[in-house]
Amino acid sequence: MRDGDIDELLKNAADQLPQVKPALLKSVADAIQPSLRPVRPLPPTWVLTGGVFLIYATVALAGAARAGFNGFAKMDLLERALIFSTLSILAWLAGTEFVHEMIPGSRGRISAEGMLALGSVALLAVFAALFHDYHTEHFVSAGLICLAVGVVHAIPAALLSWWILRRGFAVNPQSAGLVAGTIGGLAGVALLELHCPNFQAMHILIWHIAVLLVSAALGALIGRAQRRHIKALRHLA
Amino acid sequence: MLLNGEYILQEHAVPDKNYATNLSLMHPDITLEMLMARYQAGDFAAATALIDRISPQLYRLFLGQIVSRLDADDLLQETWLRVHRVRHTYRPGEPVLPWFYAIARHVRVDHYRKAIRTTSREQRLEEVSELAAMAPEQIGKSDDLDALLAPLSESQREVLQMLKVAGMSLEEVARATSSTVGSVKQKVHRAYEKLRETMNAMGLRKGPSEEKS
Repeated sequence: MRDGDIDELLKNAADQLPQVKPALLKSVADAIQPSLRPVRPLPPTWVLTGGVFLIYATVALAGAARAGFNGFAKMDLLERALIFSTLSILAWLAGTEFVHEMIPGSRGRISAEGMLALGSVALLAVFAALFHDYHTEHFVSAGLICLAVGVVHAIPAALLSWWILRRGFAVNPQSAGLVAGTIGGLAGVALLELHCPNFQAMHILIWHIAVLLVSAALGALIGRAQRRHIKALRHLA
Repeated sequence: MLLNGEYILQEHAVPDKNYATNLSLMHPDITLEMLMARYQAGDFAAATALIDRISPQLYRLFLGQIVSRLDADDLLQETWLRVHRVRHTYRPGEPVLPWFYAIARHVRVDHYRKAIRTTSREQRLEEVSELAAMAPEQIGKSDDLDALLAPLSESQREVLQMLKVAGMSLEEVARATSSTVGSVKQKVHRAYEKLRETMNAMGLRKGPSEEKS
């Protein structure tokens, strides 16, 4: 049996399916008519991505302005260029992916999980290439502080990104939450790179990247919970 | 924008303006994308034409996912209500079918999850295995889409329906399922392999194309 034969069988079988009842179509049309008014379509992807990127940059810079640019001041030119260009590219990619998650049927280049993996691996590679001091001091206590500061800044960045795309519709809220969390996490990491003067390799590799992972996980959990919450509300209605 | 509908109205002097507009909007030259843009602008005739043109495809999609006709009716209604609520998320210039199918898919997944909660899993598995174990003559004669697609996984069935029944392109299917073209190709390839295996095992006759070769 060839592909063409299977196609024919499928087509014949589909043709024999029951037809949709005209009364059903009329009832659908009647249901939407009362609330039918002009709507403004969402802006192009680059505009929405730009908005998300602006939030990422604003949260990171505002946080660092408050806490101090100690890390940035301690870095050399190569470190600054490599770290912040990588973070910016990742934030733009995550923004594009977030727009894709919030618009049904739009073209996505990478999955939500893929975006998180790409972000983590890229940052691991850059940090591992730049920082070679494997001596550890106050590893857990200093790390926990960085993790907390990073996540505290990641939350508003993720929420504001969600707000930018509030008119969108996530067909998969868990994935959308994961990407929003990734954007927030990138803002948190950017803030830490600007502020944290601790250049011990293990501190940066583990605790700074943990901000990205924890934020993404939180985002996914909130997305999942939101889906259930919406369902419960619909059920009550 | 002046559409063909207005010319038809003048040429044939049809008394009912809505009727004439609806007829012209059903014309295949009026693309779904054009209708969607007019629907977003609040044009009821365009909305009705969209409902008439897209619903049969969505209905087939739901029926092909082993749901009852009653469920398919509910799913279609729910899909249109959801489409209406989020119609602003369609952006002019983008293909419209993946947008509709992505929303329909979301509605179906919701329905499926709800069904899993309410129906015992054992019962569902029994139903599926019954379909898979159908005699070949039953498949050959009834041309039942459910029975044909029963050996496939949910995602393979979905992709095959969009591609072969709804006639969407690989790119459109990838957009609708939030995956890549490569992943869609792989699913279709595996689905065909499985279908071929099943049909050969059931002893279905070879098609004329193979008989010739």
